[in-house]
Amino acid sequence: MATSNIHKWASLPDPSPAELARAAEGDAQAFKLILERYQGMVYSVAYNVLGNHTDAEDAAQEAFLRCYRKLPQFRSEATFSTWLFRLALTASVDYKRRERRHPEPVETPEMAAEAAPQLGEGVDAATIVAALHDLPDDYRVPTVLRDVYGLPYQEIAAATGRPLGTVKVMVHRGRASLRLKLRAEGAGPEQGPAGARPRSDT
Amino acid sequence: MDCSYFRERINLYIDGEMGYLEVAELQSHLSFCPDCAAELAEVGEVRSALAAWGRLELATPPGFVERVMAAVEVEPAPGSPKPFGQAVDDTLQKLDDTLGRIPLPGGRTIPVKNVIGWGLAAAAVAIGLGRRHGRRARELTPL
Ligand SMILES: [Zn+2]
Repeated sequence: MATSNIHKWASLPDPSPAELARAAEGDAQAFKLILERYQGMVYSVAYNVLGNHTDAEDAAQEAFLRCYRKLPQFRSEATFSTWLFRLALTASVDYKRRERRHPEPVETPEMAAEAAPQLGEGVDAATIVAALHDLPDDYRVPTVLRDVYGLPYQEIAAATGRPLGTVKVMVHRGRASLRLKLRAEGAGPEQGPAGARPRSDT
Repeated sequence: MDCSYFRERINLYIDGEMGYLEVAELQSHLSFCPDCAAELAEVGEVRSALAAWGRLELATPPGFVERVMAAVEVEPAPGSPKPFGQAVDDTLQKLDDTLGRIPLPGGRTIPVKNVIGWGLAAAAVAIGLGRRHGRRARELTPL
């Protein structure tokens, strides 16, 4: 695999129809190429939904097994990465609904040091990971689905089996909590001179 | 209207869930209330940081590919026919998903798949009995 562990998966090229056809026929080597190419994307989705590495590995493995079983049903109307991304999301949310969480200390996932990304003004990956980790599951899962992956509220309600109104409230609270955490980290946008912006809501 | 009214609406605004009159009302408040404007900006920052985070790829644990391949290799080839029992279960589940439940007298309901399952079981028993009966009948028939 590439030495740099972090890149934008959305820009990964899709496997060719011939590669997909071979994997769908049960060619293990062809499937392994797909697995190697998309492992980071699938694992990231699982990690962000589940919030720890042990569960993330289980769910990511389950997502790839589903992918292997369902490859013959893949139709090229969707891009392969979008299709697999959906499988990863549903496998992770299903896992969340089924399994008890493994408590684990916060541990920033491994990334190439030179690529440690800035995610906004003064917001780095470690800050986001810690802030998400601190959210209760009930807030984190819908907030991740909504704001990390951009799912519509309706789909989040369907995936998590919760009422639409509840899901919205959880996302709103998740955002509020993340905003306070990022601000506490000194990472918010208001890094101007002290007292430049009086606040009334703290 | 005070700030708390608008604070509650910031999420609706961000999610595009407000009518244009409400949007206009909020925007006019934001134009002279730096606190609410700051809160909107901060929630926006949080969301863009989360979206940027979502586009990044994390490293999988060592040995991940090998473990998945080991699990894949004990799977039947994709698209190979399912065992008969599982195929029946899947079909019944699909029927259940589409048809839902059948109401019974007294307000109770039962899943459609149970009814069909019982039907199939009854048919199987009937066929079995019929065969046995036929065989016995033949055995007993004098030449
Ligand atoms: Zn205000």
